[in-house]
Amino acid sequence: MKDGYAAFLLSFCLHRFNGERSLAAVYHLFSGKKSAQTLQDSKWFQLAPFFGVWKDITFSEIEAAAQSLFENGLIVPVQNRAYILTEKGKRWLDEQLQRTFFPTHLNGWRYHDLEKWFWYRLSLLVQTLSNLLHHTSFEPIHRHEKTLMWVKRYLLSQRRTVRTLAETLYGELYRLLDDVSEEEATVFTLRLTSYARIGWTNEQIASYLQKDRVCVQFQFQNVLHYMMASAEADRSSILYELMHGLSLPIPLTLSAQKTYEWLLRGKPLGEIARLRRLKRSTIEDHVVEIAANIPQFSIAPFVHEKKAAKIIETARKLKTRKLKRIRDAIGDDVSYFEIRLVLAKEGEMW
Amino acid sequence: MVTLTQLLQKKFGYSSFRKGQQEIIEDLLRGYDVLAMLPTGGGKSLCYQLPAYLLPGSVLIISPLVSLMEDQVRQLRERGEKRAIAFNSFLETREKWRALEQLDQFRFIYVSPEMLQSERLLIALTNTPISLFVVDEAHCISQWGYDFRPDFLKLGEIRRQLGSPPCLALTATAPPEVMNDIIDILQLSPLRCHIHSVDRPNIAIKVEKLSSLSEKVDRLLDYVKRLQGPGIIYFSSRQWTETMARQLQQEGIERVAYYHAGMDAEQRMLVQQQFLRGQLDIVCCTAAFGMGVNKENIRFVLHFHMPGQMEAYLQEIGRAGRDGEKSIAILLYTNGDDGMIQSLMEAELPDDAQVKQLCENLLYGASRDDVEQYMDMCLFTDVQKRIFTYFLEKEGVFSSNRPLAKQEIDRLYGKVTKNIELRRQWKRKKLKEMEKWIFRRSCRREAIVQAFGQTLTDKPEQCCDCCGLSLDGYLRTNEEKHPTRFLGWRVELQRIFF
Ligand SMILES: [Zn+2]
Repeated sequence: MKDGYAAFLLSFCLHRFNGERSLAAVYHLFSGKKSAQTLQDSKWFQLAPFFGVWKDITFSEIEAAAQSLFENGLIVPVQNRAYILTEKGKRWLDEQLQRTFFPTHLNGWRYHDLEKWFWYRLSLLVQTLSNLLHHTSFEPIHRHEKTLMWVKRYLLSQRRTVRTLAETLYGELYRLLDDVSEEEATVFTLRLTSYARIGWTNEQIASYLQKDRVCVQFQFQNVLHYMMASAEADRSSILYELMHGLSLPIPLTLSAQKTYEWLLRGKPLGEIARLRRLKRSTIEDHVVEIAANIPQFSIAPFVHEKKAAKIIETARKLKTRKLKRIRDAIGDDVSYFEIRLVLAKEGEMW
Repeated sequence: MVTLTQLLQKKFGYSSFRKGQQEIIEDLLRGYDVLAMLPTGGGKSLCYQLPAYLLPGSVLIISPLVSLMEDQVRQLRERGEKRAIAFNSFLETREKWRALEQLDQFRFIYVSPEMLQSERLLIALTNTPISLFVVDEAHCISQWGYDFRPDFLKLGEIRRQLGSPPCLALTATAPPEVMNDIIDILQLSPLRCHIHSVDRPNIAIKVEKLSSLSEKVDRLLDYVKRLQGPGIIYFSSRQWTETMARQLQQEGIERVAYYHAGMDAEQRMLVQQQFLRGQLDIVCCTAAFGMGVNKENIRFVLHFHMPGQMEAYLQEIGRAGRDGEKSIAILLYTNGDDGMIQSLMEAELPDDAQVKQLCENLLYGASRDDVEQYMDMCLFTDVQKRIFTYFLEKEGVFSSNRPLAKQEIDRLYGKVTKNIELRRQWKRKKLKEMEKWIFRRSCRREAIVQAFGQTLTDKPEQCCDCCGLSLDGYLRTNEEKHPTRFLGWRVELQRIFF
């Protein structure tokens, strides 16, 4: 099928969205839009691993992939530019999930901001070490000043020799690459630049392996995220040191962050709205966003416990997150704000 | 006293000067302003790096090419010169700002023009004795140059603020009208000009007219298969670079890639370095490729689409044969190309609806930020923004800091429209020149040289298609095979580290 791997990923997301979100939601998910809606959606529909993992995707690429799925009878449109999988589509997706590569280590939610800088540091360190060991001169493969400075300082601060450092890094990379598939290890190694070879682009690797470019891109990212996760678990590794000072994102919109700061200082919603000259409904949106993303945030001050239990029960029973249906079922004494807040806090309920 | 040649040997390890260098340095040391037109790769940087060791103060170098600037600082450091620093937009490390407090400690201060907007940097520079003010790529100063950068226009004023130190303006290609702009804006006086011939005798020039696009594509494939590489192929759009790179691969030409400004920084750098290191033979690219690519052995430059003007053409073919070996430039033309290029070029100008909408918005505020916001709203491209901002600045719009009145806006709209029309006419004129050159029947080399106000003294044996040209010497002689030597990731990983 045309747009092979992109279409596969799209069908996966559409399946999770279950006709409740349009193609634009997929676009915002991949490109990592930090809006309350996208942040909430990615948790709610269990698509957080894909958040922000394809930043330069264009909407027309998604449309093209959707078109191709549609033409093959795998999806059908419902309302508002949303699609659901046909029976054939579901069978196809199942088959693909068995057969094709799936990025199981992907953690866009945690690493979408970091991956680039981690890769820049790692690849520049590898290039530098390789050239030092072989006494060759080279031009840095990245021009990003902060990365250049960081790698330089890192090398200067070493008590290990270049030889030892290289051997240790080699050992760490070897072990992790040995854990992933042969193909993923190949993709990752080909991306590296050394004294003898400038790294290949995703497209070059794809044509060498006769694979889809998008698939290669995700294989690469999958390995990268796996390395970051392993690094975080092993604080004595070089890879862990490479993550030093790269801050993990707080998954809140900027405006919601401000509101959160006020809430932490104990201000009531009405006053925050007044202070920030925002509508109360906007502040409520922020609270929902905070509830969805900050696990330690308690919603008890905003919704009575009994009400919350009722909302959860109703949502489960009706298998929906449509606010109106829930409110119709419970009655007028719950507000939309309360329903949204509870649903946001509950996140992945089923 | 040491002679210049001794100093050259001592500091740079060369035993003799290249053509023109010594004369330029001597004029600078005598206190003249110098306008130098030297071919790229002709050792421009030495012209200011050497005097730096004889002058009492610092040398300030303004360069628009951030990557080149970084390379130079690195090369200087490798040569043991610690007193070199580069300020450009993505250098905001604390040390750089700390360096401002002792700027006079540096012998070489590289600055990008947009950094000169920084008040702090300017003040620090004013307090630093500057012995030489160098403007690299000086043609960017002229709004008639093919690479106009409005930031450059302030350089004249800045030079005055720094006490008018002697100035060296460097460029590789500038026709007479651009040179006049350089002299005017930088106020070069007393002036010595060192103009190297723009002619590159080792590059043969050929134009070939084809009757249809498909014939042109076939011809391109044919050339790429037969010509001795490495080579560059220029296209007018990103889409074309990708399409043709893929088609070439399908035709069995493996070591080819595309390059354009729409790719992310890493992929661009990979392609560029692969080409430099000989991992690639062919790059299909837009005009974005080439600046700062210092590859000596490029054997051919193909133009699948004609550039919009002679200066750009000359700059692009000039990337061939830096090593002095014989090379060839071939331009493929089909009827209608000029029309397409014209519409591409004019798309760089804001259209009337955009201008109208933007001017109307000025009723609500006219600060620089406001205008930038409006430009985004009106979907201006980067080039359009650059031209427009420059124009509004010239008209003093930003300094008013209040919304404009209706009358003022009407007047402004009139001026803007007139200015845009002028640019359109000028672009058409440049394109006409290019077109005329394509259809010309006598020596093409002569015409190029004349367009730059020079005369041709010698014609090489392999001159151009009008004078008669044989392709024989430019064809591939032996079939080089480059098998991909990738023996699995384990072997490769080992090779990297051991
Ligand atoms: Zn001729």
